[in-house]
Amino acid sequence: MKQTGDSRARRALRFIAPRLFQFVFVVWAAYTVTFLLLHLLPGDPLIAALSVKGGDATPTDPAELSELRARYGLDGSVWDQYVTNGLAALRGDLGVSIATGQNVGDMIARALPNTAIVAVLALLIGVVVSLLITYWAFVTRAGWLRNTLLQIPPLGVAIPAFFSGLVLVSIFAYGLGILPSSGTRNPLSPILPAITLAMPVGAIFFQVFSAAVLEARASSYVFTAIAKGVSLPTLFFRHVLRNALLPSITILGLLIGYLAGGTAVVESVFSRDGIGRLTVDAVLARDSNVVQGVVIVVAVVYSVVNLLVDFSYGLTDPRTRPAALRRRVQDARNQAVVER
Amino acid sequence: MKTLLTRPGMIVSALIVIAALALTFAPQLFATHDPYEGIPADQLQPPSAAHWFGTDALGRDLYSRVVYGAFLSLATAGLAVVVGVAIGAVVGLVSGFIGGRVDFVLMRIVDVVIAVPSILLSLIVVAGLGFGAVPVAIGVGIGAAGSFARVTRSQVVRVRTAEYVEAARSMGVRWPAILVRHVFPNSARPVIALAALEVGTAILAVSALSFLGFGAAPPAPEWGALVSYGRDFLATAWWLSVLPGAVILVVVLAVNRLARAIGGER
Repeated sequence: MKQTGDSRARRALRFIAPRLFQFVFVVWAAYTVTFLLLHLLPGDPLIAALSVKGGDATPTDPAELSELRARYGLDGSVWDQYVTNGLAALRGDLGVSIATGQNVGDMIARALPNTAIVAVLALLIGVVVSLLITYWAFVTRAGWLRNTLLQIPPLGVAIPAFFSGLVLVSIFAYGLGILPSSGTRNPLSPILPAITLAMPVGAIFFQVFSAAVLEARASSYVFTAIAKGVSLPTLFFRHVLRNALLPSITILGLLIGYLAGGTAVVESVFSRDGIGRLTVDAVLARDSNVVQGVVIVVAVVYSVVNLLVDFSYGLTDPRTRPAALRRRVQDARNQAVVER
Repeated sequence: MKTLLTRPGMIVSALIVIAALALTFAPQLFATHDPYEGIPADQLQPPSAAHWFGTDALGRDLYSRVVYGAFLSLATAGLAVVVGVAIGAVVGLVSGFIGGRVDFVLMRIVDVVIAVPSILLSLIVVAGLGFGAVPVAIGVGIGAAGSFARVTRSQVVRVRTAEYVEAARSMGVRWPAILVRHVFPNSARPVIALAALEVGTAILAVSALSFLGFGAAPPAPEWGALVSYGRDFLATAWWLSVLPGAVILVVVLAVNRLARAIGGER
C-alpha cells in the first residue's frame, strides 16, 4: 500500500490526539478530585484557614467574611467556585493564598527551580547507581554476590526519607562538616536532599531496570553473543542496555509523581524552600488555594513528562512507531490464523 | 515448618512483628519509665543501661516513649489500611459487578487517584479535614484506596463469570446472596495480600505525616513525631532522631517481609 501525504498526517494525528486528550483529562481530573476533597470534606476552607492564621482574632462579622470569600475566590455555590476557579486556572491564574495574600502562581514559580534541581539530581543519582549495581551484578561470576547486590536497592523503598535524610545530615553536615545541613543558598546544598530522595526513587527504577536486564540475560540473542565470544562488558553496553532501558523509561512518568510527593518530606528535613515545603506549609495553614494550585502544577508537570515519554518510545525503539506497531499486530493476527 | 526453619529472615521478621504488636497492646509491660514524666536531672543523656535509648531535653526516657508510641503509630497505620480496603472494596465491587458505564467512569476516576502521588493525596485530605491521628489515617487510607479498588474490581470481574456463580444464578440465588457468599470470599485473597503489603507503606506514610506535624499533637510519642522532635538536637543528641527512625525502619522491613510471604512469594 502506498502512503500518501494525507494518510501520514492522519496517522500522526491518530498518534497524538489520544495522548493530548489524556493530558487534558489528567489535569482536569486532578483539579476536580482535589477540589472535591477540599470542598466536600466537612469544614469550611475559609474558616479553617482563618482560624489557623488568626487564632482567637478570627473575624466573625458576616460582611467581612463575605468580602474575604470574594477575595479568595471562595464565594458562591460550590459549583460556581468549581467553574470560576477552573476557568481562572486555564488562564494561568491560580488565585490568592489565604495565609500570605500572595499570588499562588508566583509562589509556585519561585519555589519550582529549587525543587527541580533536587529532583533532577536525585533522578540522575538513582539511575546511575542503579546502572552501576546492575552492571556489577551482570558481570560478576559469583552467584552470592549477584544475589546480594540485587537485594540491596529494594531496601530504599522501606527507608523513611526523614530518617535517611537526618542520618546523612548528622554524618556529612555535623560529623564531617563538609556539606551544608539546610537552606538553599550554598551551591552544594542540593546534594544531601538529592541523595535522600534518590534512595526510594532509585529503588523503584532499579526494580524495573534490573528485571529487564535479567530478562535480557536469559534471551537467545545474549546466548548467541556469549557463544560468539563477546565479552560481558561489551555485551552489557552494546546489546542489553538498549533493550533494558525501554521499559525503564516507561516508569519515568511514575517517578515524577513520586519525586513530587517525596519532596514534601525531604524539603522539610533540609529546610529548603520548594514545592514540597510550600505544600506542607499550605496544609499546616489549611490554605486550600495553595494546595489546589500545587496539585494543578504537579499534574501538568506529570502529564508533560508522560507525553515526552510516549514520544520518546519511537526514538529509542523503532518497533513502537505506529506503522511498525500496526504491522506487528497484523503479523500476529496472521500467525494466529495459521496456528489455528 | 521445615520451610520456616530454613528461612531465618522470616523468623526474625515474625518475631519483630509479634514484638511490635505486643508493644501496641501492652506497652506497660515493656516500658521502663513513664513516657510523659521526665527527670530533669537526666536530660539529654546518651543511651545507657539506665536509659536504653537515652533521654530527651525534658529528661524523658526515649525507649519508653517509643514503646508507648507504638500504639499511635501502628493503630493509625492499621486504621489507614482498613479505610483504604473499605473504600477500595466498595468501589471495586460496585465497578466490577455493575460493569458498563458505571465501571468505566469509576475506573477512570481510580486512574486519576492512582496517578496522584499518595502522599500528596493524603496532604489534600488532611488540609480539608484538619490535623490529628484519625484525619491522617483517613488521608493515608484514601491515598491507598485506588489500588485496592483496581485489584478488587479485577477479581470481581474474574469471579463474576466463573461457572459456580453462573450455576448459583441458574439455581435462582439472588445477586446480593451471590455477592456475599461467592464473589466476596473468592476475590478476597489478592486483596488481603495487597493489604498486607500496604501495612508497611501505611506505617511509613503515617510517620511521615506525623513528622511533618499533621499527626497526634505533642507530647504524644508518635514515632514520626519523635524523629521530628529530635531534629532540633541532631548536632548534640543524635539518638533522639536516629533511634526512633531505626525502629520505624526495622518494623517496616519486617512487615514487608511477612507481607511478601502472605502474597505467595518465597
